[in-house]
Amino acid sequence: MKIFTVFLQVVFIHVFLFLAMGLRYIFSIPLPTTIIGLFLLFFALCFGVVKLEWVEKGANWLMAELLLFFIPSAVGIVNYEEIASWQGINAILVIGLGTFIVMGSTAWIVERFKGADPV
Amino acid sequence: MNIFFVTILTYGLYRLAKFITTKVSFPLFHPLLFTPALIILTITLLNIPADDYLAGATLLTHLLGPAVIAFAVPVYKHLSILKKYVGKIVITVLIGSIVAIVSSYGLALVFQLEEHFLISMLPRSITTPLAMEVSEDTGGVPALTIVFVIITGICGSLIAPSVFKLFAIKSQMAKGLALGMSAHAVGTNKALQYGEEATTFSTLAMVLAGVITIILGRVFIPLFL
Repeated sequence: MKIFTVFLQVVFIHVFLFLAMGLRYIFSIPLPTTIIGLFLLFFALCFGVVKLEWVEKGANWLMAELLLFFIPSAVGIVNYEEIASWQGINAILVIGLGTFIVMGSTAWIVERFKGADPV
Repeated sequence: MNIFFVTILTYGLYRLAKFITTKVSFPLFHPLLFTPALIILTITLLNIPADDYLAGATLLTHLLGPAVIAFAVPVYKHLSILKKYVGKIVITVLIGSIVAIVSSYGLALVFQLEEHFLISMLPRSITTPLAMEVSEDTGGVPALTIVFVIITGICGSLIAPSVFKLFAIKSQMAKGLALGMSAHAVGTNKALQYGEEATTFSTLAMVLAGVITIILGRVFIPLFL
């Protein structure tokens, strides 16, 4: 039964994807469809148009299995032979160091200035 | 390659990677490294071109859209957090976004990356569809940007535990904002392990970093390039 609930809720979440596509097209909003969809679902929940129970299980599944949906793009890396060159290796080093700097500095700033009531 | 076969193969190898990571915590078994590596090996042995595999993977790639939308749920569930910390979140992510672009630019110069690599790399910290848009805006190669975004996500979720240890990061707020800021949706997925609050902060950072980087990309990056 649980799989069926998850499936139906994932299908239901598509309503927001299609709404977002429509709105983006009509008003030529300069944001990607998925981000517009995120805002739509968020406001639908806030205004009680959609109840949390209608989407929670489906959303939890999608979030938990997110890495699965990235796998094809990761396989697509083989199409870029440039990655297997010196440039590619340097690029990976740049990304590794850069990610370290961004993550470290963001976390440090928040931890340092988070105030007296940390979550 | 047919969609059924690709989906089953990918899902099976993904489950395997997830199962192994519950037994041994060794970074090479990360589902975004181990599974793609095995798939590449499989299709190479079977002599299947990568594009054939990708053509069959549309269902999986498609679900990335609803998955990003799904992150509205933890944000809604922790609305009080959002209201309480909105100022701190915006300032942190603004600083983080500038650090991300400037550090990418500086490091790319130090490592003497070619220009199309350098430009394609600037928006690598934000979620794929947004990063592609910034890449296009600034004259990068969007397809290359996707590759850099994925590598950033993998790096981010691999180094997170060590970074938090090194800087003695305890709060869910700091962990969440740092993950969403530096490693977009893949980082936000990692934040699930640290708790629901961390996931909320990470989602907020991911969305906000995307929006801020788009604005920076349209307004500031052209001034320097």
